[in-house]
Amino acid sequence: MRWTAVMLAADLPPGAAAGTTVDGTDLAVWRSASGAVHAWTDRCPHRGMRLSHGFVRGETLACIYHGWRYGTDGACRHIPAHPSLTPPKTIAATDHACREAGGLIWVGGTGEPPVIEHPHPVRSLEVAAPPEAVARAFGAAEGVRVLDLDGRAATLALQPVASAATRIHALCARPDDRLALSRALDARRARAEGDAA
Amino acid sequence: MTIAPADRAAWYPAAPSSAVTEGHATPTVLLGEGVALFRTDGVAAATGADRRALAVTERYDHVWVCPGTPDRALFAIPEAAMPGRRAVPCGSIHVRCSPLRAVENFLDIAHFPFIHTGILGEEPHTEVNRYDVRIDDDLDEVWARNITFHQPQASVSAEGALDVRYEYRVPAPTTAILYKTCPARPAEWDVIAIFVQPVSEETCIAHPWMTMFDDATPHADMVAFQQTIFLQDRSILENQIPARLPLDPGMEVPTQADLTSIAYRRWLKRRGHAHGAQLVAA
Amino acid sequence: MTPVLHDWVLDAGCYRVRLLASLLGADLDLRSVDVHPGDALRSEAFLLLNPAGTLPVMEVDGSVLTDGPACLTWLAATHDAGWLGDPSPGGRAALQHWLGVSHELAATLGAARPMDMLGASGDPRPLRLAGRGHLRRLDAALARGRWDGRAFLLGDRPTIADVACFPDVALAGDCGMSLDPYPSIRLWMRAVRGLPGFVPMPGIHPLHEASPFPEDARGSGADAARGTAA
Repeated sequence: MRWTAVMLAADLPPGAAAGTTVDGTDLAVWRSASGAVHAWTDRCPHRGMRLSHGFVRGETLACIYHGWRYGTDGACRHIPAHPSLTPPKTIAATDHACREAGGLIWVGGTGEPPVIEHPHPVRSLEVAAPPEAVARAFGAAEGVRVLDLDGRAATLALQPVASAATRIHALCARPDDRLALSRALDARRARAEGDAA
Repeated sequence: MTIAPADRAAWYPAAPSSAVTEGHATPTVLLGEGVALFRTDGVAAATGADRRALAVTERYDHVWVCPGTPDRALFAIPEAAMPGRRAVPCGSIHVRCSPLRAVENFLDIAHFPFIHTGILGEEPHTEVNRYDVRIDDDLDEVWARNITFHQPQASVSAEGALDVRYEYRVPAPTTAILYKTCPARPAEWDVIAIFVQPVSEETCIAHPWMTMFDDATPHADMVAFQQTIFLQDRSILENQIPARLPLDPGMEVPTQADLTSIAYRRWLKRRGHAHGAQLVAA
Repeated sequence: MTPVLHDWVLDAGCYRVRLLASLLGADLDLRSVDVHPGDALRSEAFLLLNPAGTLPVMEVDGSVLTDGPACLTWLAATHDAGWLGDPSPGGRAALQHWLGVSHELAATLGAARPMDMLGASGDPRPLRLAGRGHLRRLDAALARGRWDGRAFLLGDRPTIADVACFPDVALAGDCGMSLDPYPSIRLWMRAVRGLPGFVPMPGIHPLHEASPFPEDARGSGADAARGTAA
């Protein structure tokens, strides 16, 4: 199974949760206070609420709706409506493989995520076009590609979101290149969306 | 789309009375079908997509429509006629969720500390004590009684935190009524209802309405309080997966705090309501 | 004299003013306006106060302010001018830029919201599309600030620029727009929500993560419930 980069590691500080989507599957990605990252199906088993709207306390992610609290293994640890109850082990969020490596957060793969040479995060951006159109406009392959963007070296990791949405996570070799690369990404996005329209 | 007979035979809110005026048609949608509302010489009427006249009744500041042949009269809210009460229609809120999800959320107290923080609940007062729920076979309604919950600001007129008593009643598939401790008159109930208009299986319009003993609070403040509560819920309702309410066990995990919701789902299934429900686990 | 804010709980423009007042510790005398369902903005009494028929309206020292950023400017200038940002030419220009953006956000995302939420007339789709352009540019600008360690629009401290732009962005979900594609906006919103004195509004949750576990607040430990292995 190939790893998919879903966000820049710098965009998910300890104690934060965020939603993302890989090929139509909605995920809640979160980082506990101690720094470990996790990706779960974006759905609380209790009432189906998106866990990405929830809140992190310590080593738990709590659902915003009723505060049900899940530990890093996905098991429900605490139900506020019944504070003295030990939740049955069967109540658990659905865990997905999740790793932090090379300045990116990766989900859904096996083995080691790809090695990323470029250490400086630029930014992530969404393109309203399918992955093939985005790969064409950016001169990148699906997955991860090191390339020269208007004379500046960059790593682009592509995330297929939905049939007409792709996210790009960009890193670069030199901090001084970030602004120019950010502008170049915006310009290429406009081109990709123009082609797709 | 075919609509189950039980869904066709039920009463639904179609508009606030104030939106249906003499001299022109007010278009709306019920169970995915276009409906036109009229008022002639003060009396409300409705036609369906094929211009067929539909059963209409006007109560509680809203126009109610039955898309088929009603199998009963519109439920009664006897408190509405009590002298000294003020009826307050609180607007019409469009929500991208099943009408049944909107009702179920209204029947839930365990979310108060997290969604209505500082108003209807707050940590650490999260515990939901055991309460009584039954499907009343004579009335064919769901009732929940003997609910108490700690509330920091139970209503506009409440002064400080209170242990508030609640009763819930579901008299129709998309209507729920809450009876709640009245701070001004402890022997009486404040009555707060949610009339949910099923636009489609995954969209609805909620019309909150209440009748209270409160001579002091300005009208706009009473509306604002109820809108605050309901709009806090809206961001939850639009983010539940699936959008339809699962009636079969297995998709979701209830606890003792969810007894009202369990009874509501069972009652819907027993009566054959399918609109807005997910009947097979996806 | 305490300023009077003619207010509606669901109005993003009024929320800007309530939020800044709370952040500043400034008093406001709130007067609820029954905008929906009462349609009070078109009442004669309201039009006499503000002929434009819009909120917010703030009455201060005998004058009537009817523009959101103007209300913010007045509150900041009378309580803590630090919220107006750096008084250099560049700082003043940047402030005006973002106050202008806040009007654009209100005219796009803010205008789509009552259509989606209250069934107000109009087509929200072109407004959402234009709003998406604003969100993209805001996210890029915030990302650029983060490279230099700046958490807020004008630097490392919040200003009325943040307060002016925050509500319509944070309420984008109300008109069916996900903020998932905008990581720097997410971090900026978290920074705003974490400010001392922050108050939420319907559609914007308080920062529950900033509160301790209630069992810790009560002084009893419960390792399992806190997720740490016993």
